[in-house]
Amino acid sequence: MKLSLNWIKDYVKIPDDMDLSRLAYDLTMSTVEVEGAENLRDRFDNIVVGEIKEVLPHPNADKLRVCKVDVGADDIKDIVCGGSNLEVGMKVVVACPGAMVRWHGEGEPVEIKNTKLRGVASFGMICAAVEVGLADLFPAGDDHEIMDITAFDAPAGTHLADALGLNDIILEIDNKSMTNRPDLWGHYGIARELAALYDLPLVEFDKFVPDVKEVYDVRIADTERCPRYIGAKIEGLGIKPSPFEMQSRIWRVGMRPINALVDITNYVMLAVGQPTHVFDSTHIIDHICVRRAEDGEKLQLLNDKDLSLSSDDLVIADAEGAVALAGVMGGAKDSVLPTTNSVILEIANFESKGIRRTALRYDNRTEASSRYEKAIDAERCDVALSLSMKLFSELYPDMKLVAFNDKYEKKTVQSEIDVETLWLERRLGKRIPPEVIAKKLGAMGFKVSFTDTNMHVVVPTWRSTGDVSIKADIMEEVARMYGYENFEATTITTSFDGAINQLDTDLIRRVKEYLAFRSGMQEIFTYPWMSEECVNAILPTTDNVLSLATPPSPTERFIKSSLLPNICRAIVKNERNFERFDIFEESKVFLDERYTSNYKNEKLPIEERHLGCAFVGKSDDISALYRHAKGIIEAMPRFTHMEGFTFKKEEKPYYADEVVWQNIYVGDKKIGDIALLSKKAALACGIKVLSAVLVEINMDELVPFKSRTNRFVRMPEYPMTDYDISFLVDSMVKWEEIYTAAMEKAKGGLLRSVSFVDEYKGKQVPDGKKSLTIRLVIGSDEKTLTASEVEEVANGVMKKLSKTFGAERR
Amino acid sequence: MKEKLEALLKEGTARIEAAKSESELQEVKGALLGKQGSVTELMKELPKLDVSLRPEMGKAVNNVKNLLAEQIEGKREALKLKASEIAPDFDCTIPGEAPLMGGLHPITQMCYDLNDAFRSMGFEVFGGPEITSEYYAFDNLNFPPNHPARESMDTYWLEGHDSGEANEKLCLRPHLTGDSVRYMQTHKPPYRFVYPGRVYRNETTDARHERAFFQYEALIVDKDFTYTAGKVMIKSILSKVFGQDVPVRMRAGFFPFVEPGFEIDMGCLVCGGKGCSVCKHVGWIEIMPGGTPHPNVLRAAGLDPDEYTGFYVNIGLDRLVMMRYGVDDVRLFHSTDLRFLKQFH
Repeated sequence: MKLSLNWIKDYVKIPDDMDLSRLAYDLTMSTVEVEGAENLRDRFDNIVVGEIKEVLPHPNADKLRVCKVDVGADDIKDIVCGGSNLEVGMKVVVACPGAMVRWHGEGEPVEIKNTKLRGVASFGMICAAVEVGLADLFPAGDDHEIMDITAFDAPAGTHLADALGLNDIILEIDNKSMTNRPDLWGHYGIARELAALYDLPLVEFDKFVPDVKEVYDVRIADTERCPRYIGAKIEGLGIKPSPFEMQSRIWRVGMRPINALVDITNYVMLAVGQPTHVFDSTHIIDHICVRRAEDGEKLQLLNDKDLSLSSDDLVIADAEGAVALAGVMGGAKDSVLPTTNSVILEIANFESKGIRRTALRYDNRTEASSRYEKAIDAERCDVALSLSMKLFSELYPDMKLVAFNDKYEKKTVQSEIDVETLWLERRLGKRIPPEVIAKKLGAMGFKVSFTDTNMHVVVPTWRSTGDVSIKADIMEEVARMYGYENFEATTITTSFDGAINQLDTDLIRRVKEYLAFRSGMQEIFTYPWMSEECVNAILPTTDNVLSLATPPSPTERFIKSSLLPNICRAIVKNERNFERFDIFEESKVFLDERYTSNYKNEKLPIEERHLGCAFVGKSDDISALYRHAKGIIEAMPRFTHMEGFTFKKEEKPYYADEVVWQNIYVGDKKIGDIALLSKKAALACGIKVLSAVLVEINMDELVPFKSRTNRFVRMPEYPMTDYDISFLVDSMVKWEEIYTAAMEKAKGGLLRSVSFVDEYKGKQVPDGKKSLTIRLVIGSDEKTLTASEVEEVANGVMKKLSKTFGAERR
Repeated sequence: MKEKLEALLKEGTARIEAAKSESELQEVKGALLGKQGSVTELMKELPKLDVSLRPEMGKAVNNVKNLLAEQIEGKREALKLKASEIAPDFDCTIPGEAPLMGGLHPITQMCYDLNDAFRSMGFEVFGGPEITSEYYAFDNLNFPPNHPARESMDTYWLEGHDSGEANEKLCLRPHLTGDSVRYMQTHKPPYRFVYPGRVYRNETTDARHERAFFQYEALIVDKDFTYTAGKVMIKSILSKVFGQDVPVRMRAGFFPFVEPGFEIDMGCLVCGGKGCSVCKHVGWIEIMPGGTPHPNVLRAAGLDPDEYTGFYVNIGLDRLVMMRYGVDDVRLFHSTDLRFLKQFH
């Protein structure tokens, strides 16, 4: 919302030497956020009043003229101009070199320089209204008309802002910072805050007393939705422009002046925040009735929208039908017309929620509806009436109020709140003297009375529509007016009742830090919705997948039930820049199943915390890629202090390659998978070249240790020998089988461990075979073994492998 | 002869001392003790001497020879200990080999920094469900029934769950505040906890607006907690996270679930409060709303608002991280682009 400082000064006498940045700061700290303050005068720097002394033909152009223009102190300049309305004696707007104007009102402002036009030197430019941003105030008859300010009493050379009375400061207020304050949506409301802040008097409006006997027929059928309706029939009017100052104010705060009748209603709204409306009284048949619309009732709005109404809409109707959508917009037929010379002035109060529903229903929010939906108090009609009648009589000295009615069916009840002074003191951390509280709150219209222990507050009507209703609200009013910055810092005290111990929370962090710092993986974030092509490639079905009612795009409606589809998207994205990378994401996934919740009355779908990983590289050594991935997953429990994993081959993941996959278990519980993404699925996701080993683990199933469980093992007293043996074996024999068989030989006590060293298939190895190298650790607790004793253990292992698998030592 | 011998010893000792490498030393040895060496040459002159002088002089020459040989061996040992076996063209200026290049997301990093800071002040870390019912998203947070945030233009409602009773209407959580009620309903006061997490808004995205973003809320509920203590808390946390004294100001603000409510600004660290493009020339950056939990929120959690009060803040992690690193587009956080993410290791 824009505010004119001059306008505010009508209601509160802010000292002229008040520092503007101080005012903006104080308003920001205590009331609303001031986003900017513009000195309007700056827009018209180097733009002055010029008086045309002579109009001469241009030697080289038919449509241009060379004007001799007095630009101040008899300084006559030649200015080339193509204006269609140039006349000697006319006062015009001259943009001197250095001024910023918009060519033909379009594009960014450009700086005016001395120039030559078709061979004739020109000092600056004679401007059209649109070029200096004043088209709303000086509408041009045609495109070539220049702005005529002959009517203004300002000598040549006067700064345009001085000539037109545009020396004003425009404050820009963040609307979001006052959605809860219906009283602030006009200049008067902000003036009241400033009066309270700076202890200045606030101008009061006189109560208007109608001196007319005839009662205008106003009927309210729904007093909940329309607590008050003032109808006033006024004659002796007519269509004409409003005075320049009124137009100028309306324009300065961002609206367009239309004609005197409409301008009065807009001016009143901008001044006191109360929307008003005028109907052409010759079009209102018999009476005004505020009622619910009938379902399907037709109404054409002022903006030519044709509505078919709902019975939830409130309308203003006459004897024949709806004439306006209450609180939102007038109807096209019955509002101000070029022939209007008598009106019905409407000043009404409407209930906020209904107005909001209607405005949203027809996507037709207006300045009026946005004010009504904040909940305006019914008393404000009085202020609006007072100002309206004052303006009518000023603008139309011959006007006559011929009929009047103030149907006030439901008063806005003033909130009354009791606040224990001790409570206030404890919560504020400070005692503020009662007289200070009474003064500050009093300046904002609150009535405060004190007893020994209590403070009784009567809230003004304009704050009683929901804004101030509980004692915490009073505390806020006291604190912000006292000044949030004027409270001394207080320390935080606590009682110690044990250290924070959150095993699950800590485990998640350890896992992520393990992956990032020890395993060299990069964490990524993805959206909670999955893109459809990856979903189809990765998931066997979408039956148990939740979706969004209003997705960000039609192909992103599914909510994550697995992390892998989005991880595959991330692979596609990074494949362009990297040929080797490992990524992971830790995030929630959701399943459209078993609706339960730990919290009362709520039914929530299954939600699991998952870990998803991708190990991405070239396709030439899948074995190395798989072992790299598996190594990181295998070692995770050890480094993150949780129950260990086992790997089994029970259930192939849908997206997995036929051969390269395993399921991950904790105890008997399957908690995830590790698998090579099949070529088919990779292509469907859009992964062009690289191969990916994917891992997904349900982190909710991980079991953190309560503390570290590593046990010290005494170092062996006698040396241990590493003994490598290589042998050929059928290529289908699995490492796990070899290991199990070899370890049977450990029962004697000398064989300490068996581990994998290398696997080789290739030139020197016959088809159907592979060469395997394993490492035995051999040693005794009683003595140093001799070479032949070591050899004997190794031979025993080899014999076992030969017998079981037909292995041949190489 | 005697003089010659003395001069030779002196000269030989000096040459041995001067040798800089084993090969140089070898040359010196040859020149002294070799077949044509000076000492050998001198020995060849012995037979020419008078017989009576020969034994004495022979002894003296031998003595010099032994002395020099001893010195050479000593020098050889010394040179050996000093020498490098590495070729002199070894290039120490080649950069080192990089360690494993993994990292946490910059937002996770900030979240953990805040966790550490809050935990040091005795806060627990809590997390609630990301799909929530309308009841926990709005109703018990004092959002009026017609509040604009409830409309689908702002909230992601779930297909098939977008109508019905408040406990059955489901959405991606639009903010974290509902989690505070969940925590309070399942724990005993006083409370001191943080609840970080992702939230979702149905918005048009641009460099400053995202559909998914990360928030970090903290709540204290206790008897007689003043908002100025809250200000101290915010200041302590920010100063720890940014490693310098961070000015904090609180000004009037409105949010349905707090009363009174504040907008909390931190001094712009880019310009030191003088005003720059980052802070839109005001010297302050709006980083979080906060305030005292609304009595209705405390009631929803089963507490008596006359007895309990507290302090709440909602830190926009995305904005804080953007501030920390000078990131100018919030959408990069969900871009999964490793060229971006790898900058923050």
